[in-house]
Amino acid sequence: MSTNIRTKLLRKEPFMETDKLLILGVYDNPDKTYAVTKKLIAGGYKVYDVYSPFAIHGIDRVMGIKRTRLSVAAFGFGLTGIASALTFMIYASYFDWQVNVGGKPSLHIPTYIPITFELGILFTALGMVACFFIVNRMFWGKNADIMDLRVTDDLFVVAVDVKKGKGDQRALNQLLIDNGAIEVRERIKEV
Amino acid sequence: MSYESPIRDQLVTGGKTYRDVSSDITRPLENAPSKGWWFGFSISSVCLALWIATTAYTMIVGIGAWGLNKTVGWAFDITNFVFWVGIGHAGTLISAVLLLFRQKWRMSINRSAEAMTIFAVICAASFILSHMGRPWVAYWPIPLPNAFGTLWVNFNSPLVWDVFAISTYFTVSLVFWYCGLIPDIATVRDRATTKSRKFWYGFFSMGWTGSARTWHRYEIISLILAGISTPLVLSVHSIVSMDFATSLVPGWHTTIFPPYFVAGAIFSGFGMVLTLLVVAREVMGYKNYITTEHLDAMAKIVMVTGTMVGLAYITEFFVAAYSGVEYEQYAFFNRAFGPYWWAYWTMMSCNLLAPQVFWSRWARTTPWFLFLMSIIVNIGMWFERFVIIVTSLHRDFLPSSWVMYTPTIIEISILIGSFGLFFFLFFLFIKFLPSINMAEIKGIMNMHEGGQAHEHEHTHEIIEKGAIHGNG
Repeated sequence: MSTNIRTKLLRKEPFMETDKLLILGVYDNPDKTYAVTKKLIAGGYKVYDVYSPFAIHGIDRVMGIKRTRLSVAAFGFGLTGIASALTFMIYASYFDWQVNVGGKPSLHIPTYIPITFELGILFTALGMVACFFIVNRMFWGKNADIMDLRVTDDLFVVAVDVKKGKGDQRALNQLLIDNGAIEVRERIKEV
Repeated sequence: MSYESPIRDQLVTGGKTYRDVSSDITRPLENAPSKGWWFGFSISSVCLALWIATTAYTMIVGIGAWGLNKTVGWAFDITNFVFWVGIGHAGTLISAVLLLFRQKWRMSINRSAEAMTIFAVICAASFILSHMGRPWVAYWPIPLPNAFGTLWVNFNSPLVWDVFAISTYFTVSLVFWYCGLIPDIATVRDRATTKSRKFWYGFFSMGWTGSARTWHRYEIISLILAGISTPLVLSVHSIVSMDFATSLVPGWHTTIFPPYFVAGAIFSGFGMVLTLLVVAREVMGYKNYITTEHLDAMAKIVMVTGTMVGLAYITEFFVAAYSGVEYEQYAFFNRAFGPYWWAYWTMMSCNLLAPQVFWSRWARTTPWFLFLMSIIVNIGMWFERFVIIVTSLHRDFLPSSWVMYTPTIIEISILIGSFGLFFFLFFLFIKFLPSINMAEIKGIMNMHEGGQAHEHEHTHEIIEKGAIHGNG
């Protein structure tokens, strides 16, 4: 890290050792964003995150993001829903209080299928989405820490963590610009 | 990496950039509503007031305010309920089933179709509540420990299944819709120029940053939500049909009901989607997003499902004749040639015959004609439920109980009022939320090198034609 930048940053606000120094490459096109991310990772830089107005397909694999286990969670919630529905219906209509409706059997599993199915779906959806919000630390009223106001509109930002991985900022600047960055910026992110 | 199929024309026309998409779609949110919006909103508010007044009247006076009698115990109420639930199905079909089939054209219509689902289910639920007569005890179908000696609900009853099916459907649709909205709400938040807009859209965007990690999880949960919504939507109308099919009433006691109802639901739902979108694309200037290709695709689905429903009508007739059961035979003969023959033939001509015009491409791509057809489909599907319910009931096993059913002015007002409720919510939706999914639309525009779509017309022509796009 060049000392020049470091002193400038220090003058503005205290720079804690734990803070991240991010170099942001701003792009206007998903293909360029994808390509530069690939090159950065190949070049030994640490890509902190990529911000985009829509999902760039395949960039998660390039960045080495492991497949989320939300689908496993969803399956677990589904099983929970199915088990609770069945248990409850069997308990209520057979063990707790049998009701004679037209002489029909009190315990009749096939007619429990619809409700079991519906509750399986309900638990899956609610549980999985709740987990999604938890792992993303999303909640109502949260202040968004966005890299650029237009990142939800038409710009793409590649954030490189120069304290981890390769820290050669001059080469990094050049790499970002050579790959079509319309702007290169820096940003301190408190952890 | 990806296969580009040259089957379809461009999904987004007019050489739009990403920024154009954001500003076009957030225009109604960021500006004062147009005269057209106020006009529509006022009319629906008046109808909503009618709905409130007549529903309140029913609750005060009781079900006696309706034209029901000892023989015909279900009529307008359940007709309207099944009609509205059916309308909802197109939304889930577009957002879930078409997502699984990777039909990219769904992207510009799924948001409004999902909103339509939610509002239609609200309308449907309102009929269930009011037809109970004593809506203040509407919680009785929910299995709660109670004061009646732990008397649980009867889990063998399709009416109880229906309570679970409809409430699950509403909840899951709402969750799916909201998850889809979060990135777009964030777009509105970041464009906001007023304090209140910044606050409210900021509040509901849940701190969305557009990070690749979030997008990765987001894509997975969207896919799973679509995967579970698909059997859900099929189960909901199957269970609604079982309200009838598990009874012993001739004309209802039919094993064909579940698939027949599901096809009918999708048919009527697409009818309503067309009604809304043909107008919306005109009034809100979304012609570049909802192109004639979208209308064409929807019209094809209307034709296919309409024909499926027509096949079911004919199959029912055949099976009744073939069964040798005189009650079944009479029920169907009475439908077509009895006192309600006009309702039956309205249904037949609107649902089976009318959609056959969609064999012609002109019919599928001419907006005014599609609008007309969508109204015909809506009318036809409303009559289908009326025919199934009223004509099956009005001829009892006991001839001394044979009656005719005529709706009262209250019932007709509630029906008109429910459209008021539906459009009231829909107008609020298009004013306050982005009615086209911006994030998904931007994803399929696929502006390769250069950034501006029109600079590279030639490559784009080939690339954007892809029905199957990206590396999915």
